[in-house]
Amino acid sequence: MTESLRVAVDIGGTFTDLVLHEGDRLVATAKTLTTYPDPAAGVAQGIGDLLAEWPHENVTEVVHGTTLVSNALIERRGSVIALITTKGFRDVLTSGKEQRYDMYDLFIQMPEPLVPRRRRYGIDERVLADGTVDRPINLDEVAALIPSLRENEVEAIAVSFLHSYRDPEHERAAAELLRRELPEVPVTISSDVSPEVGEYHRTSTTVANAYVLPTFDRYLHRLEKDLEASGIDAPLHIMLSTGGLATADTARKFPIRLLESGPAAGVLAAAFFGSQDGGRSVFAFDMGGTTAKAGLVEKGAPLIAREHEAARVYRFTKGSGMPIRVPVVDLLEIGAGGGSIARIGTFGLPKVGPDSAASDPGPVCYGLGGDQPTVTDADLVLGYLNPEFFLGGKMKLDSDGAQAAVASLGRSLDLSPIDTAAAIHRVVNENMANAARMHAIERGKDLRPFTLVATGGAGPVHAWGVARALGIARLVFPPHAGVGSAFGMLTAPPSFEFARSLPSKVSGVDWGGLRDAVDIMIQNGRSELEAAGAGATGMSILIAADIRYEGQGDSITVELTPDPDELDGDLVNDRFLGEYLRLFGSRPPDVEAEVLTWRVRVSGPAPRPEVGDVVTSMDNPHKGTRPMWFAEAKGLVTGDVYDRYSLVPGTILKGPCVVEERESTVVVGPGGSIEVDDLGNLEVTIDG
Amino acid sequence: MAEMDPVTLEILWTRLITVANEQAAALQRTSFTPIVRESGDLSAAVFDAQGRMLAQAVTGTPGHINSLATSMHHFLAAYPEETLRPGDVLITNDPWQTSGQLNDLSVVTPVFTGPQLIGFFGNCCHAVDIGGRGLSADANEVFEEGLSIPITKLYDQGEANEELLKIIKANVRAPREVVGDLHAQVAGNQVGATRLVEYLEEFELDDLAGLSHEIRSRSEAATREAIRQVPNGTYRKVIHTDGIDEPVEIACAVTIADDEILVDYSGSSPQVSRGMNVVLNYTAAYTSYALKCAISPEVPHNDGSFKPVTVTAPEGSILNPRFPAAVAARHIVGHFLPHAVLGALAEVIPDRVIAEGAGNVWLTTTRGAGPDRFVTVFFASGGMGARPNQDGPSTTSFPSGIATAPVEITETTSPLVFRHKELRPDSGGPGKYRGGLGQRIEVEVRTGEPFVVSSLSDRLRFPAEGYLGGRPGAPGGFETSIGESRNPKLSNRLPEGTTFVLELPGGGGFFDPAERDPAAVAEDVAEGLVTPARAASDYGLEVSPDGAGAD
Repeated sequence: MTESLRVAVDIGGTFTDLVLHEGDRLVATAKTLTTYPDPAAGVAQGIGDLLAEWPHENVTEVVHGTTLVSNALIERRGSVIALITTKGFRDVLTSGKEQRYDMYDLFIQMPEPLVPRRRRYGIDERVLADGTVDRPINLDEVAALIPSLRENEVEAIAVSFLHSYRDPEHERAAAELLRRELPEVPVTISSDVSPEVGEYHRTSTTVANAYVLPTFDRYLHRLEKDLEASGIDAPLHIMLSTGGLATADTARKFPIRLLESGPAAGVLAAAFFGSQDGGRSVFAFDMGGTTAKAGLVEKGAPLIAREHEAARVYRFTKGSGMPIRVPVVDLLEIGAGGGSIARIGTFGLPKVGPDSAASDPGPVCYGLGGDQPTVTDADLVLGYLNPEFFLGGKMKLDSDGAQAAVASLGRSLDLSPIDTAAAIHRVVNENMANAARMHAIERGKDLRPFTLVATGGAGPVHAWGVARALGIARLVFPPHAGVGSAFGMLTAPPSFEFARSLPSKVSGVDWGGLRDAVDIMIQNGRSELEAAGAGATGMSILIAADIRYEGQGDSITVELTPDPDELDGDLVNDRFLGEYLRLFGSRPPDVEAEVLTWRVRVSGPAPRPEVGDVVTSMDNPHKGTRPMWFAEAKGLVTGDVYDRYSLVPGTILKGPCVVEERESTVVVGPGGSIEVDDLGNLEVTIDG
Repeated sequence: MAEMDPVTLEILWTRLITVANEQAAALQRTSFTPIVRESGDLSAAVFDAQGRMLAQAVTGTPGHINSLATSMHHFLAAYPEETLRPGDVLITNDPWQTSGQLNDLSVVTPVFTGPQLIGFFGNCCHAVDIGGRGLSADANEVFEEGLSIPITKLYDQGEANEELLKIIKANVRAPREVVGDLHAQVAGNQVGATRLVEYLEEFELDDLAGLSHEIRSRSEAATREAIRQVPNGTYRKVIHTDGIDEPVEIACAVTIADDEILVDYSGSSPQVSRGMNVVLNYTAAYTSYALKCAISPEVPHNDGSFKPVTVTAPEGSILNPRFPAAVAARHIVGHFLPHAVLGALAEVIPDRVIAEGAGNVWLTTTRGAGPDRFVTVFFASGGMGARPNQDGPSTTSFPSGIATAPVEITETTSPLVFRHKELRPDSGGPGKYRGGLGQRIEVEVRTGEPFVVSSLSDRLRFPAEGYLGGRPGAPGGFETSIGESRNPKLSNRLPEGTTFVLELPGGGGFFDPAERDPAAVAEDVAEGLVTPARAASDYGLEVSPDGAGAD
C-alpha cells in the first residue's frame, strides 16, 4: 500500500520550488517559474507536475511558504486601508523614532507610511500605562467614520490604541462595531497582531498586516480551490517567519507573520543538514544572485528575533524600513551575491556591491548584455565555475567576456586579470564575513565553533573563503540545495507562539493572574495544533519571558519552564541571572529584574525526513582537473573536478577541488577534507 | 615602509572599521541606559600607537566626531607611552579636553602585543547623571554641574581604581547605572583590543604603522580633492538662537583655500553665565559634521580626513569659553552650528545644502517637587529644513542622531500622560520644497504634588530660515494650562495637575513657494499638512479641504 504523501511549496521571487515526501522519505522535487500576477497558477501547475505519477488522494498535508507578503510591502501593492488610533496620536507612523538612519546623507528619504494621513482617524478613548481606563471609548465617533470609510472604498482597517497590549477592550469594541457595519471589510487590531509595548512598532505591524491582508486572503482562496479541484483533500499549512506552522485560517488573519517564511524554511533546512541531532551550532549561509542571507541555529532551533524590518528604502540600511514586531528567524541580509558589481571606490580601492546586475542583464559571462564585472565573472576567471556545466549545462558561460571585463577593472588597479578576480572574490567574502561578525557580536555569539551550511547558487562557491575569514573550521554542503527552502518546510515541527506584554518588576507580579493568562495562551496553542493535525502526544510547551534589569534599555528572552504552575519569582530571577551571566559575565549590583513580555510556544513533534538518493550516476566521479585560484596557495593551482551525482556516501576527497552540481559548485581549497555522509551531505573540515 | 597593494589595504581597512563597530556593539549590548543602548549617544574608535584615530564606529552622535580624536592627544600628554602598561585603562570627563559636558565620560584602553604598545581603543558615552544640577542650563560655573574627573587611571595593570569608583558612586544620583555603564565602556574597549590582536595575527602584521599611514594619507588626499571642487572664497552666515537671557549670535565664516577649509566664528556672542557655552572641541565637531555632509560624505572619519579642516573661535566667546564656564546644555547652541556652516555654503554650493531646521532636539525633564522624587526625560524633534530637490522630513532630529522613546514607554516609567502628539499643520516653511513639520505635544503630569519641568528648547523667537526664496518654518512654543508665560529652558515649578504644551518648530522652505507644484500643495491640503487658508496666502492657490481645485 502507498504511504501518505506530503507536499511542500515555496514561492520565491523567480522560482517556485516543490518537494514531495512519501512518509518520511523525499521522493520527488520540482521547480517552476513563479507566475505573475497570480502565483497560485504556478503552484497548481507545479503540483500537477510533482504529483504526475502519484495518487492525489493520498496527500495528507500541503505546507506552503511564500514571498507574497514581503513583495507586497516592498512593491507597495497592498490594499486601500484606514487606521484608527487614539485621538491625538494619528501621526505615530510619520514620526516613528524621529531619527535619521544615515547620519551623513542630507538627502535621506524616510519611509512613507502605508496609510496616508487623510485615512488616519483619531477616536476619543484612553487607557493608561497601568491598564486603567482613563476615558471610555466613544463608539459614536467610530460609527461616525463609517460613511467616510465607505466613500474612500477602504478594503481593510487597522485599529491601534495606546496601551492596548494592557487592555484590549477598546480595540475589540471598535472592531466589533466596524465588522457589524462593514462586514466585507477585514479589521486588524493591534492587541491581536502584536500585543507589545511601543506604539510605533505595534502600529506599524498592525497597519502592514491590514495592508497585505485582502491580497493574501484572495490568494489563499484561489490556492485552496485549485488544490481541491486537483483532488487534494488535505489541510493547507502555512510556514511562519519563525519556522513554525499555522493553519490557513490563522495565516489569513495574520499574514504579516509569514513575512519571512521562505528564508525561515531555508534556515530550517540548513539546521537539519548541518546537525541532525541538534548537537552542533549552525551558521546557515545562503548566497544568491543579489543578496546573501545568514541565520544562526543553536540546539537545533534557529535564533528568533522579536522584530524585523520590511521594505527598506535603502535596501540594506537598518532603520530605513518599517518595523514589524512579530517573531521572526533572526536573519542577516547583505547586498552580496553572484551578480554584485565590482568597481573602484573613493580611495582607488576595489569595492564589490551592493549594486547588482541581478539576473537581467546579469553577469558579463551570461552573455545577456551585462558589461560590468561581477562576482560570478570573477568566480569563472578563478576556475571555480565550469563554463560548460552552469545550471547543469543548460547555460553556457562566456569565459572570454568575463575575462575581458575583469581585466579592464584590473588595469585601474594595476593588477593582472587573475589577481583582479581574486580581489573581487576576497573582497565580497570579507564583506559577508564582516557583516556576520557584527550579527554575531550583537547577539553575544562567537562564530568560530559554528558549522557553516552553504546553500544558494553562489553560497557553495564562497563558503570556503567566508569560513576562512571567520575562523570557522567545519562546513556542510547539503544535497538538493536548489529546493532547500521547500525541503525545510517538511522538517519543521508545527509550532505556535503567543506573547503578552505585562511590564512589572518580578517582585510585583500577580502570579495567580499571570498563570491564568499563560494557561489561556497554552489552550490557544493546543487548539491551533489540533487544527493543524497534530495529536496530543509529543506536544511540548515552553514558557519564556523578556526580562531586563530595571533601568536597562533592552531585555533578553529567557526560557523558563513548560509548566505554568512552576512560575514564581525565584524561578524567574534564577533563570534570568543564569542567562545574564552567561551572556555578559557579571551582574550589576543592587538592581531588580523586571519582566516586559511573557511568551508561550506550543509545538508538536518534529518529523524526521530522509533525503532520498543523491547519487544518480555510477560513472567515475572524477571529471578531470583544471587550474583554480586559492589564497592558501597564493595563486593558481591544479585542482580536481568532481561530479556531485556520482559521489557515494563514505567517499573521502581532498582539496583543492570543486564538486559540480546543477545549481551550484562546491569549492574547497588546499587543506580541506571532504567526506560524503549518509544523507549525501559533503562534510568539509579545514586543517589547522 | 613597503606600500600595501590595494586589495590587502581594502580588506584590512574594512576589517578595522568592523573592529571599531564590534567595540561599539559590545558596549551598547552591556550598557544599563536607554540613552546609550537605544538612542546611541556614544562614540567608539581605534587609534594607532601615536594616538591618531584610524576608524570610528558608526553611531548617532556628531558631537563626538573628532572630539574623541582630539581627546586622545590629551590622554597621551597626561600619560605618555612609557607610563602605560597592559591592563591600564584611562578615564576623564574634562569638558574642554573631550566633548564639552561633564556627563560625557571618555574611557581609553592601550593595546599591547607583548611589551609593544600597538594602539588604543577609546570611547565616549553619555552618563545618565554626573551630580550637580542635573543636565540643565541653570549653572553659572562648571563647578555646579557635577563631578569633574581629570585624566586618571580607572584600571592600573588590571586592578580597578576602587577609590575613584567610590568617589563617582558618592557623587551621582544613579550610581548603579553610571558605574554599570563604565563597566560597559571598559568591556567595549576590551572586545576591540582582543579583536585587533587576533586580526594582526591573522594578517601577519607586527603593528598598525603601515595600515595607519595608508588610511590617513588616502583619507587626507580624498578630503583635499573634495574641497578642491568647491570654489575658493570666504562665505559668511550669521544666525541667531533664543539663548536664555539674551539671544545668541553665531557668526560663521567658511574660507575655502584650494584644498583646505578654515571655519572661523569671530564675531559670535561672548560666553554667558549659563550652562550653554560650547567648548571648542564641540564647536569643531558640529562644524566638521556639516562640512562632511555637504562636501565629503564618502570619506570616513579619521586623523587624515580632519587634517585639511581648521576651526577657530575667539577665546571667551560662547563657542570657545574660558574655564570655568558652565557648559552642560551646550547642545542648545551647538546643534545650530551646522545651520550656520550650511548657510554659508548655500552661497556657493546650494545644491548640496539643506535649509534651516528645528535645530536642537528638545530634551524635556520633569521631576517631582515633593516627597515623590520621580525624574523623567524625553526627547522630541521638530521639522528638518527643505532640500533643494525635495521637502524636508517632518519631526526628524537633525543634526543630532538621537531617537525618541515611545510614549507608552515614557508613560510606563513616569507619572506623565501624553494627551496629544501630532504634526502641527502649517508649521513647515513654505517653498518650492516645503520644510518638515514640527509637532504639538501636550502632557499632563499626574502626581499629587507640584512638579518641576524644564525643556531645553529653542526657536521660540527665531524661526528656521528658508533658503533661496523659501520661507521660514513656524517658531516653537511652550504653554502651560495655568496660563503664565514662562521660559521653558529654566526650571519651572508648576502646581499639581498642570498640563504643559510643547510646540516644536518647523523647518524652513527651499526656493520660492510660487514655484511649488500645485498638485503638491493640493496633496498637502488633503493630508492636513497645510490648511486651505495658508494654501491661499502662502502659495496663492484656492484649495478645498479635500485637496480639490488646486489648478
